[in-house]
Formats: sequence, C-alpha cells, structure tokens
Amino acid sequence: MKQETVSRRDALKLGALGLAGAMMAATNAMAAAPKETEVKFDEEYDVIVIGSGFAGLAAASKAAERGLKVLILEKMGRVGGNSVINGGAFAVPNNRDQQQFGIKDSADLFIKDALKAGLGINHVEMLEVIGKRAQETFDFAVKCGAKFQTGKKPTWFGGHSVARTIVTENMSGSAIIQPMAAFVEKLPGCKLMTRTKFDDFVMSADGESVVGVAARENYRFNKKLLSDDMENTGGTKKFFKARKGVILASGGFSMDKVYRKLQDPRIAEDQDATNHDGATAGAMLKAFQIGALPVHIDWIQQGPWASPDERGFGVAPLLTQQGLFVLGVAVDVRNGKRFMNEMADRKTRADAEYVILREDPKANPVAIGTEKTFAPQIAHAVEKGLQTGVMKKFDTLDALAANYKIPAAALKETIKVYNETAMAGKEDEFKKQTLKNLKEAPIDMKGPFYAIRLQPKPHHTMGGVKINTKAQVISGNTGKPIPGLFAAGEVTGGTHGASRLGSCAIADCLVFGMVAGENV
Amino acid sequence: MCNKKTLYLVGVFLFFNAMYLIGSEVSKTPPAQEVAVSAELQEKFPLKNHHAKLSLKCADCHEGQGDEPENFQMIGDEGCLSCHKSKQYLADRLKFMDVLHVNPHNSIHDGQRLYCDECHFEHQKSENMCLNCHSNDVKIWMKDTP
Ligand SMILES: Cc1cc2nc3c(=O)[nH]c(=O)nc-3n(C[C@H](O)[C@H](O)[C@H](O)COP(=O)(O)OP(=O)(O)OC[C@H]3O[C@@H](n4cnc5c(N)ncnc54)[C@H](O)[C@@H]3O)c2cc1C
Ligand code: HEC
Ligand code: HEC
Ligand code: HEC
Ligand code: HEC
Repeated sequence: MKQETVSRRDALKLGALGLAGAMMAATNAMAAAPKETEVKFDEEYDVIVIGSGFAGLAAASKAAERGLKVLILEKMGRVGGNSVINGGAFAVPNNRDQQQFGIKDSADLFIKDALKAGLGINHVEMLEVIGKRAQETFDFAVKCGAKFQTGKKPTWFGGHSVARTIVTENMSGSAIIQPMAAFVEKLPGCKLMTRTKFDDFVMSADGESVVGVAARENYRFNKKLLSDDMENTGGTKKFFKARKGVILASGGFSMDKVYRKLQDPRIAEDQDATNHDGATAGAMLKAFQIGALPVHIDWIQQGPWASPDERGFGVAPLLTQQGLFVLGVAVDVRNGKRFMNEMADRKTRADAEYVILREDPKANPVAIGTEKTFAPQIAHAVEKGLQTGVMKKFDTLDALAANYKIPAAALKETIKVYNETAMAGKEDEFKKQTLKNLKEAPIDMKGPFYAIRLQPKPHHTMGGVKINTKAQVISGNTGKPIPGLFAAGEVTGGTHGASRLGSCAIADCLVFGMVAGENV
Repeated sequence: MCNKKTLYLVGVFLFFNAMYLIGSEVSKTPPAQEVAVSAELQEKFPLKNHHAKLSLKCADCHEGQGDEPENFQMIGDEGCLSCHKSKQYLADRLKFMDVLHVNPHNSIHDGQRLYCDECHFEHQKSENMCLNCHSNDVKIWMKDTP
C-alpha cells in the first residue's frame, strides 16, 4: 500500500518534470542523436574525452602521449569529479612494494577477492585486465606526475586477502588528478575545458558511428535543480569533431536525485551522498540512447558508515569503520536493540539501516562505543568528530540515551548482553567477527561513551555501459562495438559486480582509461 | 589590462586618501566619465563593503561592457585578477593556511585552479564551495568568504 502511494506520487512528479524540461528545451524529449550532416563543427580534435576524473585523464594522457590532439570536456568548474575528493587508495595487485616486503600476491588472488565481494556477478575478463596491467598503469600515472607513498609496506584494505593498496602522497586523489591534468594540457594541441557540458553524441551520416559531440560552453551546473541534466538550459552550443573517437568517462550517478531513486526507491531525492554534485546520469543515458548496453544499473553501493550530521563523506566513515563499529554497537533508537552485524559488508549493513529508516525516516540508528574501540592512528579524527559535533561524548549511558531518546533500560540491557556474550567467548546473534579473544568487555562500562548517528549514503554506482577489454562500448543493436565510442571508469558496469572492494576504483578507472587511450 | 588597472588602483587609493583628508563632500562628486547609475540600480547591485568603501564604480569591474547596466555580464576570473594580480599572488597571501591544507586559494583538491565565483560573489552573499562537503570544518578552517 505504502509503496504504491510513493510510486504514484513519484510518477506524477517525474511527469511534471519531464514536461517542464521539454518546455524549456534543455533536452528535447523526442530528439535522436544528431548526425554530422545536420551540424556544423566548430572545432576538430582527434579524440574527445567526456569527464576529467581518473578515467578521463588516464585516457587523455595516453592518447596525448601518442601524439593525438585531445579535448577534455568537464561540465563542472572544478577538475576531477569524484576522483579529486577520493581517498587516494589504489589497489595494485602484485606490485613492487609487495615483492620488496615479501607479500605474495597474484592476479588470480585479486580476482578471487573481487569476485567474493562482487557476489560472483563480476565480468571476470575485465578483472583480468586490471590484474595484469595495474603495476604498468601505476608506472604510467607516475610518469604523468602522480605522487604516491612508495618504498613502504602496502596498506591492507578490508576484503582483500593481502596488503596490496598504495596510497597517494597526500592521501587524496588530487595527487593523481592535478599532475595528470597538467600533463595533458602541456602537450601541443590538447585542451581541457571546464564548465563545458557534453550534451549529445554526433553520429555519422549512416547513424552507425560516433564522429563528434554537441556540448555547451560556459555551462554552470545548478545543484538546486532536481535534475540539472534535464532542466538546465544555460551555456552556448558548440559542436566538436572527433576524428578518431569519443571516450565517455563521465563517472557514476550517486548524486542524480531522479535516476538513482528510479533504481533504488529507498534513496530519497533530498538524501545526501558521498559524491560531488556533478555525479549524474545524463551522459550515460546518452550512450544508452545510441544503443550502448546497460549492465547492473541498480546496484548502487551505499556507505552504511556515514552520518546525517555532516554533508558528504565527512569524518564519520573513519570514526565508525576504524572505531565505533569495531568493538561498539549500533542500535535502533526506538527500542535500544542491535539490528545488524556492525562489521558486515556495506550492502548488508545499509539494507539493515534502511529497514528502520523506511519505517521512520527520522529514526537514524546510533553507533555507540568507548575510547578503546578507536584505532590509535585516528586520534586526530576523534578530535575532529567531537569538535564538529558529528560525534558526541557522554559520561553515562543514561545521558546518551536521553540525548537520542533511546529507552535507557533497554539500551543498558543490550550492552550488558553484548559484553557478556563477548567475554564468554560465544558468538553473538549477528556473528560479529571482531569479538573473538577479547579479555575485557568490548564496551567499557566506565565510559565515557561516544556516539554517532547513522545514515546510508550512496557512494558508488556499480552499473553502467558495457565495454569490452579494449574499452569499446558494446551496442545492444549489433552485439559489436559502436565504432568511435569508448568508455572507462565508474560510467562502465560489470567489472566489480554487486559490490566494489575498497581501493579498486582507482585501479579500474586508470587501467581502462589507459586502455581506451591506447585503442582510440 | 593588468598594468592599467594597477595604475588605476593607485589612483583609486590616492583618491580615497584625498577624500579622507578633505572630507565627505568630495565623494558626492562623481568622476566625469562615469556611467549614470540610478539609485535603483545601485540598490539592485550592491557592492561588497570592501569594494564599496573604495568607491569602485560599475565600470571598474564591468569594463568595456558598454554603458547600459542591463547588458552587463559576469566579469570572470580575469575581471577580478585585473586588480588582484594573479592566482599565485592570492595563494601566497594566504600561505599560512597551507600548513593545514586549508588555503581556499590553493586547495588540497584543486590547487589554484578554482574560479573565483565558486565562492565569491559581488552583488549577493558569497558562498564557500568547500561547505558542500565540509559543512562542519570550514568554520574551523577559514573565515567567512568576503
Ligand atoms: C569520497 C570518496 C572517496 C573515495 N575513495 C576511494 C579510494 O580511496 N580508492 C578507490 O579506489 N576509490 C575511491 N572512491 C571511488 C572513486 O573515487 C571513483 O569511483 C572514481 O573517482 C571515479 O572516477 P571516474 O573518472 O570514473 O569519474 P569522476 O572522477 O567522477 O569523473 C567524471 C567527471 O565527468 C564529469 N561529467 C559528468 N557528466 C558530464 C557531461 N555531461 N559533460 C561533461 N562532463 C561530465 C563529472 O563532472 C566528473 O568530473 C571514492 C569515492 C568517493 C566519493
Ligand atoms: C577595480 C579593481 C578591483 C576589482 C576589479 C576587484 N577588486 Fe577586490 N579589491 C580591490 C581593492 C583595491 C581591494 C582592497 C585592497 C586589498 O585588500 O587587496 C579589494 C578587496 C577585496 C577583498 C577583500 C580583501 C580583505 O582583506 O578582506 C576581496 C575578497 C576581493 N577584493 C575580491 C574580489 C573579487 C572576487 C573580485 C572579482 C569579482 C574583485 N575583488 C575585483 C580592487 C578590486
Ligand atoms: C574555495 C573558495 C574560494 C575561492 C575559489 C576563491 N576564494 Fe578568495 N577567499 C576565500 C575565503 C574563505 C577567504 C577568506 C580567507 C580567510 O581569511 O580565512 C578569501 C579571501 C580572499 C581575499 C582577501 C585575502 C587576500 O588575499 O587579500 C581576496 C582578495 C580574494 N579572496 C580574492 C579571490 C579571487 C580574486 C579569487 C579567484 C582568483 C578567489 N578569491 C577565489 C574563498 C575563496
Ligand atoms: C567589484 C567588481 C564589481 C563592481 C564594482 C560591480 N560589479 Fe556587477 N558584477 C560583478 C560580478 C562578479 C558579477 C557576477 C555576479 C555576482 O558575483 O554577483 C556581476 C554581475 C552583474 C550583473 C549581472 C550580469 C549577469 O549576467 O548576471 C549586473 C547587471 C551588474 N553586475 C551590474 C552592476 C552595476 C549596475 C554596478 C555598479 C552599481 C556593478 N555591477 C558593479 C562585479 C562587479
Ligand atoms: C565534493 C565534495 C568536496 C568538496 C567540495 C571539498 N572537499 Fe575537501 N574533502 C572531501 C573528501 C571526501 C575528503 C576526504 C575525507 C575527509 O577527510 O573528509 C576531503 C578532504 C579534505 C582535506 C583533508 C582532510 C582534512 O579534513 O583535513 C582538506 C584539508 C580539504 N578536504 C579541504 C577542502 C577545501 C579547502 C575545499 C574547498 C576548496 C574542499 N575541501 C572542498 C570532499 C570535498
């Protein structure tokens, strides 16, 4: 019943939006992709890249290094999309630092790990390319100026069976993005245009191949619109010819209020995500329009470790993953009870949180723990969390319960049972794996107690267009590559299956970006 | 353009100083070449305090955009930098903030690349784009965007 009213209301809203969009002619509802015979090209390049993240810049750098004239189009004022706010963690299977520190790894082991996290629905041939070419891609990134912390033991990320992750110098994707953008821009005939939005593919006269793009210069993304892609009419139209091909690297759609909700109606329009504002589906939809095959579109990975008390990714993910979740508990504020294994995979936990939030959207669960649950290396984050109010500290459980309106007696009972079960060496009802061999209570009853409110936030869209191992986009009409169209990065689907392991996105984006730049 | 503006700035400063010395009457006499601006327009397009107190005129920023205020356009980075020198210069002035990587003119994510109007607006309240994702940090990191 409830669900039906929701979808009816949505249908009305979407319908209304569609109408408004058509009236303002941001995009014409009926328009097919224009043909080269219908347009006049303003400028000509060898390669046009859509998007300036890891995938786009790797593609552009490789193509530019081959001597091709490359144009990169970026709709935002900022360069680098999600890549420039990313944590800079790059899984490089079988890398030199592993060898130096005696860590045995292989492409096969990497594939096994990825398949386990991806629930076996991964496209294995894509993982094989990453497994084989990650170190070489890493070296290419370094050649373009990217800076990493090398010569030390790689970092061990959750879900990986060995330590294989190398982190950038400043622990941000910007240590890859800034130098790579500069690398391309320095090469003759190459250009990066910000605030320039890709609108449409321009097709050959026979409609078979991609030969250019339609775009708008001086475009200002408007985050206040429900759908910038459908509603924003700003900017000046331009046509760019691509002699060799177009590379779609427009990233994921975790910030697309309309499209993500169609895939997963639990994600409210006003729900925050960890992504940058420009992570929308418009460019991907244009590829579908000319026949690209969609894969795994409704697998949207959501971060169960985020907080509604700050915007974006924030500090909560660190404080929960390397803190409160490890030895503490997450409880339903309405009854003071645990409701999930706080150390389960991302999807299991996000689903459990949504069960509560769908019943009462205001009843954000609360994660609770004591000092000892925090890994020593996140002391700075603990301080920041408290200072910014994302995390709160209470001397007693009564004070904590009162603050979040949790029934105090029930909360105390939950923690009592949790502590006793762990100390008795028994498995708890949710089979939490971090409670083994503890000699003392996981939650220190002396306090003080730390707490963070939880809210799943869309983080990574697993799905996208289907590409082959040469980064060519596959057509659903012919089952063959669409001539002139390549894609790489989060806009592609299948590689990671149901769920991406941490630090594998950089590997995927840079490897297939480079592959696209080689083959275009 | 840069040179001319720098010179002009000196002029503005001298003018400003003179005004200060002579008294407030002087400021009521607009320079002869100035575009006529109605009180209404001035109200519709108020200047930031830091610019208003220099008695900047519309055309100081909307240079070469004709004398019809209705047709004025955004002035872009070049407009701001014609007086404020260069992005490097602006980054250096806030260099003390680099220690914590929170220099808005040399950000950890973007270096010096951001457009001024990701944060600064002239006729409306400025809005710091870092707030999009650091809702709680920005007030600790830096002042309100002037
Ligand atoms: C907070 C955060 C931390 C992360 N940390 C890690 C990590 O440590 N390790 C890891 O491996 N992964 C991490 N990820 C995931 C990873 O960062 C992303 O999957 C990756 O950056 C995607 O790269 P991309 O090049 O495909 O897309 P993006 O980097 O998002 O770039 C796509 C670009 O295309 C532009 N664009 C979109 N549509 C258009 C259009 N129509 N016209 C013009 N331009 C357009 C966008 O504005 C954007 O700039 C993290 C993600 C987030 C959000
Ligand atoms: C006609 C010259 C001129 C132009 C154009 C101009 N400014 Fe200024 N601005 C000044 C002067 C002079 C000052 C005062 C001296 C100083 O602090 O540098 C000033 C001060 C400022 C300040 C305050 C400095 C402080 O210490 O608080 C900010 C912020 C600023 N300008 C931003 C901008 C932006 C953004 C633009 C573009 C939209 C711009 N300015 C365009 C001349 C100009
Ligand atoms: C990311 C947001 C952001 C961007 C982009 C930005 N500024 Fe600023 N700017 C600020 C903030 C915040 C301050 C105040 C910093 C402080 O003192 O804490 C500031 C201060 C200033 C000042 C006064 C300090 C000084 O150096 O005199 C000037 C002038 C200025 N900005 C001009 C510019 C111009 C010109 C541009 C474009 C080239 C620009 N800013 C781009 C946020 C920004
Ligand atoms: C310090 C530089 C500066 C001065 C002086 C200035 N402007 Fe502006 N003006 C801007 C900037 C920057 C914008 C872009 C919008 C914003 O930042 O509010 C703008 C935008 C405008 C626009 C809208 C253009 C558009 O396309 O949206 C109009 C009209 C305008 N100004 C009129 C005026 C008038 C009238 C005056 C004199 C009373 C004036 N401006 C003085 C910097 C200035
Ligand atoms: C689209 C989202 C987004 C925007 C906009 C953004 N950041 Fe970040 N920033 C992040 C994320 C995500 C991280 C990594 C996680 C974290 O530490 O919050 C980060 C990390 C940082 C860090 C290092 C970690 C820390 O907290 O000390 C600094 C400093 C920082 N950003 C400064 C800025 C500044 C300055 C701006 C504005 C110029 C800005 N950011 C704009 C998302 C963003």
